[in-house]
Amino acid sequence: MEFLVGSVWAAGLAIGIAAFGCGIGQGLGLNGAMSGISRNPEAAGKIQVNMLIGLALIESLCIYALVVSLILMYAHPALEAATAALGAH
Amino acid sequence: MQDLTKVVDLITKSNWLLLVVLAMVAVMTTSMSFYLGVLAGGLIVAVNFHLLKRTIKNSIRPEVVSEKGRSLVGHVMVKYYIRFAVSSILIFLLISNHIVHPLGLLAGLSVVVASVFIVTLLVVTRLYFKEAV
Repeated sequence: MEFLVGSVWAAGLAIGIAAFGCGIGQGLGLNGAMSGISRNPEAAGKIQVNMLIGLALIESLCIYALVVSLILMYAHPALEAATAALGAH
Repeated sequence: MQDLTKVVDLITKSNWLLLVVLAMVAVMTTSMSFYLGVLAGGLIVAVNFHLLKRTIKNSIRPEVVSEKGRSLVGHVMVKYYIRFAVSSILIFLLISNHIVHPLGLLAGLSVVVASVFIVTLLVVTRLYFKEAV
Protein backbone atom coordinates (compact mmCIF):
# COMPACT_ATOMS: atom_id res chain seq x y z
CA MET A 1 0.00 0.00 0.00
CA GLU A 2 2.81 2.38 0.91
CA PHE A 3 4.29 1.68 -2.49
CA LEU A 4 1.16 2.91 -4.26
CA VAL A 5 0.83 5.95 -2.01
CA GLY A 6 4.49 6.75 -2.67
CA SER A 7 3.93 6.43 -6.42
CA VAL A 8 0.99 8.82 -6.38
CA TRP A 9 2.93 11.31 -4.24
CA ALA A 10 5.89 11.09 -6.61
CA ALA A 11 3.65 11.56 -9.64
CA GLY A 12 1.99 14.63 -8.18
CA LEU A 13 5.27 16.18 -7.13
CA ALA A 14 6.89 15.38 -10.49
CA ILE A 15 4.30 17.15 -12.63
CA GLY A 16 3.82 19.96 -10.11
CA ILE A 17 7.49 20.87 -9.91
CA ALA A 18 7.98 20.42 -13.66
CA ALA A 19 5.01 22.63 -14.59
CA PHE A 20 6.13 25.25 -12.06
CA GLY A 21 9.67 25.33 -13.46
CA CYS A 22 8.60 25.25 -17.09
CA GLY A 23 6.04 28.01 -16.53
CA ILE A 24 8.67 30.24 -14.91
CA GLY A 25 11.17 29.43 -17.66
CA GLN A 26 8.73 30.20 -20.45
CA GLY A 27 7.57 33.38 -18.77
CA LEU A 28 11.15 34.60 -18.36
CA GLY A 29 11.96 33.73 -21.96
CA LEU A 30 8.91 35.54 -23.28
CA ASN A 31 9.60 38.53 -21.05
CA GLY A 32 13.13 38.79 -22.41
CA ALA A 33 11.88 38.43 -25.98
CA MET A 34 9.30 41.18 -25.50
CA SER A 35 11.91 43.52 -24.05
CA GLY A 36 14.28 42.73 -26.89
CA ILE A 37 11.66 43.36 -29.58
CA SER A 38 10.49 46.58 -27.92
CA ARG A 39 14.04 47.92 -27.81
CA ASN A 40 15.06 46.67 -31.23
CA PRO A 41 12.04 45.89 -33.47
CA GLU A 42 14.31 45.03 -36.41
CA ALA A 43 15.58 41.99 -34.51
CA ALA A 44 12.05 40.59 -34.11
CA GLY A 45 12.56 37.82 -36.66
CA LYS A 46 15.74 36.50 -35.07
CA ILE A 47 14.23 36.69 -31.59
CA GLN A 48 11.08 34.87 -32.77
CA VAL A 49 13.03 31.95 -34.20
CA ASN A 50 15.28 31.49 -31.19
CA MET A 51 12.36 31.84 -28.82
CA LEU A 52 10.33 29.29 -30.78
CA ILE A 53 13.07 26.69 -30.47
CA GLY A 54 13.61 27.48 -26.77
CA LEU A 55 9.91 27.30 -25.94
CA ALA A 56 9.53 24.00 -27.82
CA LEU A 57 12.36 22.48 -25.80
CA ILE A 58 10.96 23.76 -22.49
CA GLU A 59 7.49 22.50 -23.38
CA SER A 60 8.79 19.04 -24.18
CA LEU A 61 10.41 18.88 -20.73
CA CYS A 62 7.03 19.44 -19.13
CA ILE A 63 5.43 16.80 -21.34
CA TYR A 64 8.15 14.31 -20.34
CA ALA A 65 7.38 14.98 -16.68
CA LEU A 66 3.69 14.47 -17.38
CA VAL A 67 4.36 11.13 -19.06
CA VAL A 68 6.60 9.99 -16.20
CA SER A 69 3.95 10.92 -13.63
CA LEU A 70 1.23 9.14 -15.61
CA ILE A 71 3.46 6.08 -15.91
CA LEU A 72 3.96 6.16 -12.13
CA MET A 73 0.21 6.13 -11.61
CA TYR A 74 -1.16 3.95 -14.38
CA ALA A 75 1.63 1.86 -15.89
CA HIS A 76 4.19 1.46 -13.12
CA PRO A 77 6.77 -1.12 -14.26
CA ALA A 78 7.10 -2.57 -10.74
CA LEU A 79 3.37 -2.63 -9.99
CA GLU A 80 2.91 -6.34 -10.70
CA ALA A 81 5.88 -7.28 -8.54
CA ALA A 82 4.58 -5.07 -5.73
CA THR A 83 1.08 -6.53 -6.02
CA ALA A 84 2.51 -10.04 -5.97
CA ALA A 85 4.57 -9.18 -2.89
CA LEU A 86 1.46 -7.78 -1.19
CA GLY A 87 -0.43 -10.95 -2.06
CA ALA A 88 2.33 -13.11 -0.60
CA HIS A 89 2.05 -11.41 2.80
CA MET B 1 16.95 36.39 -40.87
CA GLN B 2 16.38 34.29 -44.01
CA ASP B 3 18.72 31.62 -42.64
CA LEU B 4 16.89 31.52 -39.32
CA THR B 5 13.49 31.14 -41.01
CA LYS B 6 14.99 28.32 -43.02
CA VAL B 7 16.12 26.66 -39.78
CA VAL B 8 12.56 26.65 -38.44
CA ASP B 9 11.24 25.26 -41.73
CA LEU B 10 13.95 22.62 -41.62
CA ILE B 11 12.96 21.68 -38.06
CA THR B 12 9.29 21.43 -39.07
CA LYS B 13 10.13 19.19 -42.02
CA SER B 14 12.55 17.06 -40.03
CA ASN B 15 9.85 16.58 -37.36
CA TRP B 16 7.59 14.86 -39.86
CA LEU B 17 10.44 12.99 -41.50
CA LEU B 18 11.74 11.70 -38.18
CA LEU B 19 8.22 10.71 -37.14
CA VAL B 20 7.73 8.71 -40.33
CA VAL B 21 11.14 7.01 -39.99
CA LEU B 22 10.58 6.20 -36.31
CA ALA B 23 7.08 4.88 -37.00
CA MET B 24 8.37 2.69 -39.81
CA VAL B 25 11.17 1.30 -37.66
CA ALA B 26 8.72 0.70 -34.81
CA VAL B 27 6.14 -1.04 -36.98
CA MET B 28 8.81 -3.37 -38.39
CA THR B 29 10.71 -4.19 -35.21
CA THR B 30 8.42 -3.73 -32.21
CA SER B 31 4.93 -4.51 -30.97
CA MET B 32 1.74 -2.78 -32.09
CA SER B 33 1.33 -0.85 -28.83
CA PHE B 34 4.91 0.47 -29.10
CA TYR B 35 4.25 1.56 -32.69
CA LEU B 36 1.02 3.28 -31.65
CA GLY B 37 2.92 5.03 -28.85
CA VAL B 38 5.53 6.37 -31.25
CA LEU B 39 2.87 7.50 -33.70
CA ALA B 40 0.63 9.15 -31.09
CA GLY B 41 3.52 10.83 -29.26
CA GLY B 42 5.08 12.09 -32.48
CA LEU B 43 1.78 13.46 -33.73
CA ILE B 44 1.07 15.23 -30.43
CA VAL B 45 4.43 17.04 -30.32
CA ALA B 46 4.53 17.80 -34.04
CA VAL B 47 1.08 19.41 -33.92
CA ASN B 48 2.08 21.21 -30.69
CA PHE B 49 5.17 22.62 -32.39
CA HIS B 50 3.10 23.74 -35.37
CA LEU B 51 0.61 25.53 -33.10
CA LEU B 52 3.41 27.13 -31.06
CA LYS B 53 4.97 28.41 -34.28
CA ARG B 54 1.67 29.92 -35.39
CA THR B 55 1.06 31.54 -32.00
CA ILE B 56 4.50 33.11 -31.93
CA LYS B 57 4.35 34.28 -35.54
CA ASN B 58 0.94 35.90 -35.00
CA SER B 59 1.57 37.36 -31.55
CA ILE B 60 5.20 38.38 -31.35
CA ARG B 61 5.42 41.05 -34.04
CA PRO B 62 7.05 44.46 -33.46
CA GLU B 63 3.84 46.42 -34.15
CA VAL B 64 1.78 44.21 -31.79
CA VAL B 65 4.48 44.17 -29.09
CA SER B 66 4.74 47.96 -29.04
CA GLU B 67 0.94 48.23 -28.78
CA LYS B 68 0.13 45.54 -26.24
CA GLY B 69 3.49 45.03 -24.53
CA ARG B 70 3.53 42.71 -21.56
CA SER B 71 -0.08 41.49 -21.94
CA LEU B 72 1.20 39.39 -24.85
CA VAL B 73 3.21 37.27 -22.40
CA GLY B 74 -0.06 36.28 -20.73
CA HIS B 75 -1.69 35.67 -24.11
CA VAL B 76 1.05 33.27 -25.22
CA MET B 77 1.11 31.57 -21.81
CA VAL B 78 -2.68 31.03 -21.83
CA LYS B 79 -2.41 29.39 -25.25
CA TYR B 80 0.48 27.28 -23.92
CA TYR B 81 -1.62 26.04 -21.00
CA ILE B 82 -4.57 25.24 -23.30
CA ARG B 83 -2.24 23.24 -25.58
CA PHE B 84 -0.69 21.54 -22.58
CA ALA B 85 -4.10 20.64 -21.12
CA VAL B 86 -5.27 19.09 -24.40
CA SER B 87 -2.00 17.14 -24.74
CA SER B 88 -2.30 16.02 -21.11
CA ILE B 89 -5.81 14.68 -21.62
CA LEU B 90 -4.75 12.80 -24.75
CA ILE B 91 -1.66 11.31 -23.07
CA PHE B 92 -3.71 10.44 -19.98
CA LEU B 93 -6.25 8.56 -22.08
CA LEU B 94 -3.54 6.75 -24.02
CA ILE B 95 -1.63 5.63 -20.91
CA SER B 96 -4.51 4.94 -18.51
CA ASN B 97 -6.34 2.76 -21.03
CA HIS B 98 -3.07 0.95 -21.87
CA ILE B 99 -3.53 1.75 -25.56
CA VAL B 100 0.15 2.56 -26.06
CA HIS B 101 3.46 1.40 -24.64
CA PRO B 102 4.84 4.16 -22.36
CA LEU B 103 8.37 3.87 -23.75
CA GLY B 104 7.05 4.12 -27.30
CA LEU B 105 5.13 7.21 -26.28
CA LEU B 106 8.31 8.71 -24.79
CA ALA B 107 10.18 7.93 -28.02
CA GLY B 108 7.43 9.61 -30.03
CA LEU B 109 7.38 12.64 -27.76
CA SER B 110 11.12 13.06 -28.32
CA VAL B 111 10.66 13.72 -32.04
CA VAL B 112 10.80 17.52 -31.77
CA VAL B 113 13.75 17.52 -29.37
CA ALA B 114 15.63 15.08 -31.59
CA SER B 115 14.96 17.07 -34.74
CA VAL B 116 16.07 20.31 -33.03
CA PHE B 117 19.34 18.59 -32.08
CA ILE B 118 19.79 17.15 -35.57
CA VAL B 119 19.16 20.50 -37.26
CA THR B 120 21.48 22.26 -34.81
CA LEU B 121 24.20 19.73 -35.55
CA LEU B 122 23.66 20.19 -39.28
CA VAL B 123 23.85 23.98 -39.04
CA VAL B 124 26.94 23.91 -36.81
CA THR B 125 28.66 21.38 -39.07
CA ARG B 126 27.88 23.48 -42.15
CA LEU B 127 29.18 26.60 -40.41
CA TYR B 128 32.34 24.80 -39.28
CA PHE B 129 33.14 23.44 -42.74
CA LYS B 130 32.35 26.76 -44.41
CA GLU B 131 34.83 28.51 -42.10
CA ALA B 132 37.43 25.76 -42.62
CA VAL B 133 37.28 26.26 -46.42
